[in-house]
Amino acid sequence: MAEKLVPVVCPWCSVGCRFYIVNVNGYPKKIEFDYDHETRNHGKLCPKGVAAFQYLRHPDRLKRPLKRVGERGEGKFVEISWEEAIKEIAGKLRELKEKYGPEALAFLGSERCSIEENYVLQKLARALGTNNVEYVCRMCQSTSVAGKGMVLGHPGLTNPFEDILKAKVIVLWGYNPAATNPVFFGQYIEKAILDNGAKLIVVDPRKTKTAKYADIHIQPYPGTDLAVALAMLNVIITEELYDKDFVAERTEGFEELAKTIKKYTPEWAEKVSGVPAELIRKAAITFATAGTAALLTNEGVNQHANGTRTVMAITEMMVLCGYFGKEGVMSGAIPGAHNGMGAGLMGVGPHELPGRFPLHAEEHKRRIEEAWGFKIPEKPGITYVEMIDAILEGKLKALYVMGTNPARALPNLKKAEEAFKNIEFLVVQDIFLTETAKYADIVLPAAAWFEKDGTAISFERRVQRSFKAADAPGEAKPDWEILVMLARELGLGEYFNYSDVDDVLREINRTIPFLTGATPERLKNKLSGCMIPCPDEETETPRLFVDGFLTPSGKAQLIPVEYKEPGEVPDEEYPFWLTNYRLVGHFHTGTMSHRSKSLSKRWPEEYIEINENDAKRLGIKDGDLVRVETRRGALVFKARVTPHIREGVVAAPWHWDFNYLTKDALDEYAKMPELKAAACRISKVEG
Amino acid sequence: MSKKIFIDFKRCIACKACEVACEMEHGEARIRVFEFPDLTSVAFNCRHCEKAPCMEACPVNALSKDEDGAVVLDPLKCIGCLMCGLACPFGIPKIDEYNKIMDKCDLCAHRRADGRMPACVSACPTEALKYGDINDVLWAREGKIVAELKDIGDRTNVLEAYIIR
Repeated sequence: MAEKLVPVVCPWCSVGCRFYIVNVNGYPKKIEFDYDHETRNHGKLCPKGVAAFQYLRHPDRLKRPLKRVGERGEGKFVEISWEEAIKEIAGKLRELKEKYGPEALAFLGSERCSIEENYVLQKLARALGTNNVEYVCRMCQSTSVAGKGMVLGHPGLTNPFEDILKAKVIVLWGYNPAATNPVFFGQYIEKAILDNGAKLIVVDPRKTKTAKYADIHIQPYPGTDLAVALAMLNVIITEELYDKDFVAERTEGFEELAKTIKKYTPEWAEKVSGVPAELIRKAAITFATAGTAALLTNEGVNQHANGTRTVMAITEMMVLCGYFGKEGVMSGAIPGAHNGMGAGLMGVGPHELPGRFPLHAEEHKRRIEEAWGFKIPEKPGITYVEMIDAILEGKLKALYVMGTNPARALPNLKKAEEAFKNIEFLVVQDIFLTETAKYADIVLPAAAWFEKDGTAISFERRVQRSFKAADAPGEAKPDWEILVMLARELGLGEYFNYSDVDDVLREINRTIPFLTGATPERLKNKLSGCMIPCPDEETETPRLFVDGFLTPSGKAQLIPVEYKEPGEVPDEEYPFWLTNYRLVGHFHTGTMSHRSKSLSKRWPEEYIEINENDAKRLGIKDGDLVRVETRRGALVFKARVTPHIREGVVAAPWHWDFNYLTKDALDEYAKMPELKAAACRISKVEG
Repeated sequence: MSKKIFIDFKRCIACKACEVACEMEHGEARIRVFEFPDLTSVAFNCRHCEKAPCMEACPVNALSKDEDGAVVLDPLKCIGCLMCGLACPFGIPKIDEYNKIMDKCDLCAHRRADGRMPACVSACPTEALKYGDINDVLWAREGKIVAELKDIGDRTNVLEAYIIR
């Protein structure tokens, strides 16, 4: 029995944990902890990491290409050969392109695939003449990317993990790392709090396992975080708690911001968010006078129709206090998946070129066109949620989905399902028959993360290599190989002349300047990888903004922010605020985690949290079935009566069917849908 | 002094990585995380008692202590009479319904044989689980305070310093 240990990057969240897969003759037997290398997780893993090999050999794995024979959504397919599948896809894409133009085609990339695969996907879309290429970042981080981009010029995490250990105050805003990133929480945040005495401020409507450690816990109504952020800015400015030298030397627009912020007093915020004004004041003073601070945000901030504004206001708090560019500080948003950041950097965006340069950045466009040998289409593409409208309007005819599950991730799912029923041609390339794949015309079996070599970029901006640790089942192939096969069939073979992933990574090194140094050789020799930007093989950049910000002037832009309500607020008909959260044992739409035995056993079903006073008023007891209804639909949950959620708010985990309830109102800057706040009514299901 | 798994309640976030890691090693989780309404949580496993009631109760001597002090079960001797389960003040040994013999934590004997730590301790992301000698574990936890006191004590009277603080 030949047993070998293969080093891999964890396929779930974006901390960038490393461990080994124990491989027995090509078969994944179990995982082993990596204490020998300089790993960011110090060998530690969360339950998803420990169970990471379980879904690999699940009987549901797709093994051969499938062609639909039943109705869309029914899930009836017959097996076909790779040759037939690729021929059919290429033929149909060519036909639709000729008939309706290239903008009738759209491609969805994936934060669960490697940077190489996302790079090849967006290149294929562009070679076919369309910028309609997107991935789920639109629904996770896009507001953060837009907001921080405007203020600082770069959305990435500013400092290495170790810096959080030196922070005097930590603010976790709309972020529950104890459930979403337990290893990052345990190895860095918890140590900073319990061992080094850092103060913790948590902003979350729920009292979470993270909030258990908080000195100050602010519980705003979902989506009213912007009011709290504006009020904190107000306190920092009116009480002159900001760093005057820093503001004078390294920022622009302070006067305008100070003028705008005057009306947003803590007392005003109390009325909007339900958070006592004194608590906001206390939090602002604690934050501004700490000396060093870490401010981390996540979906609680991002996934709102006012998300970009909230991110801007929160980032401006960090700027005003002069916390950037130092040791012991940290600022960033945490992508959901292990390659959330990497996929975006590869140009999987309708307005972006590889390297996240804007589509209209002529100099970069020319450079990339020269490297590729073909023209990048001029017309910007459409964003993720807008694709659904485009399908329903008959503008979008074909959608190619790689490793993602929009039929569970999109808001207002009923509408999304309608779109998937009506699209002319849908291809899904994944490891399981996802909810989306059930609507597909052709389903292609992909190799899972451990079944291929690939590179991922963690939220620390760290580029790391993962290695092939198991054989793919049946005829499943790595995503990049499938895309290259398709490109060749489409007659675009000359632009996709790759024989392995290293060829793709070398092209990425040539095309994206700040990844030039992340060569296959460097990443194979140094498992801990390197932090981008890495312009050559010797350098990396642990801290951002040490000398200047990445805006055109090098100064942070203090853009005034005005208050805007979330996409939907309660009224008489729908009196409750509804929001969602994540469970430590599940991941995204559950494609992988619902098929991991150890995880689904421990976190078997959804439930809804209701405040004990609300429950009493409605006659709901713990364990009762409750009907939760919004203007889009209704779901039945088991009630969990608890004091840990504020009155007037109910919350359920989102990994199941939650998005039948959410609204597709969009953020005006980032087109982020309103995924975390909705108005709902609840009633006990009798009998 | 024998080595054991110690639990730091303050650090546990109920992520259940220990349970899953144990399940991966043994098929069933032999450690369990209990959650309480006030958000505290406790990961709980066999204490490997110095004077182990399970060992004393076992009529066929299926339970014994190994060289590291772990109470381990010999599956060939066990008759599944449940006496150890009854005797254990923590209710740790459980019946393995399939094999009709008992099942309990052995501090990952196979991992220790290779010089590795028990799987639950290896995984625990917050280091709420610690494997070692109690003096070492206590020293690691309290050492800073003790060192500080000692430092003050060197200069003044320890008791006096303690009262002042």
